Amino acid sequence: MTASVRVNTHAYATTHVATNMLRSMKQIIRESGLSISGIQSQWAVLEAGVAAWLNSRHLTGLVLEVYDPGKASGADLVGRFDFTIDYGYYSDGDGDLWLDPDTITYAVRKNGSYPARCEYRFIADTAAGHPTVDGWSTTTFRSTAGFTRHTVGTAIGGGSLGAGLSYYTRSS
Amino acid sequence: MSVVSRRVASVPVRTSVGTWKVIVALLTAADHEARTSLEAITNTAAMLISEEYTRDAPIVVVPAAGPRIRVYTVHGMAAVDGDGDEAPLATWPLAEPGWRLSLPCGIDDIDDIRAALQRYPFIDVRDTTEGITVDAVAPAPRTAGSVSINYDEMERP
Repeated sequence: MTASVRVNTHAYATTHVATNMLRSMKQIIRESGLSISGIQSQWAVLEAGVAAWLNSRHLTGLVLEVYDPGKASGADLVGRFDFTIDYGYYSDGDGDLWLDPDTITYAVRKNGSYPARCEYRFIADTAAGHPTVDGWSTTTFRSTAGFTRHTVGTAIGGGSLGAGLSYYTRSS
Repeated sequence: MSVVSRRVASVPVRTSVGTWKVIVALLTAADHEARTSLEAITNTAAMLISEEYTRDAPIVVVPAAGPRIRVYTVHGMAAVDGDGDEAPLATWPLAEPGWRLSLPCGIDDIDDIRAALQRYPFIDVRDTTEGITVDAVAPAPRTAGSVSINYDEMERP
């Protein structure tokens, strides 16, 4: 099922993509067997950052890192979901505002669920010069060595923006 | 019992947090204690708005006195087209202690949301398919004013 409306305003597109990326991350967390309390408790900060950096065109991706706190640091990554932003998804700058939750569900089913003890964090991948947003700090990604990236396609679209979804599974 | 409703534009006109801020400003004055209480649940309320639970099932405010308030959110093209009604209310419904607020929630999220809000006794979280009940008939308004009654809203389940 895909819900869509058609508008031609960059501000509307960025708001639509920002909020629905978080909504989709929540869907991934729930359908992966994890608690939504983590995303719920950070919702305002997450939305503020993602919306600001989409609007300024500094956001290149939003990443959900899932890790096992019982494993050693550096070897604790158990999975990852990435939304990758394409600012030229619609070349004419127009297009529907749409969300495809079935693509999210497909990716989660292919990935499988995580043990309930796993925890997660969000990382906004941003270009240099991005504006500062309260509540966010600088970090680095966990290594994805030994993981394979799977791309499932664009899950959210709006204006000229597209948000493509991919996930990582351990391959070795 | 009288009912007043408002429809607040949400995504893509506003973020989910922006939508909740408008709702809070509709229900409370800046110096009201209730505003602090509602701001404290911003994360949870905004997440529910993002799920569009509040599109068809309203946020229901039961004041200590006066008409019950139903606040819906408007999403997508309806929001862009200005299909809302954000007119100020005739009175501040949360000005007096004793008010309650009911948030609609999908069944998949309801246990987590109730757990997150259990420390806020003035908030109820209900399944989107359920109505709400009140323990007693609310007393008549204590202040005179122009109260608009939407009789279509009174017919809703």
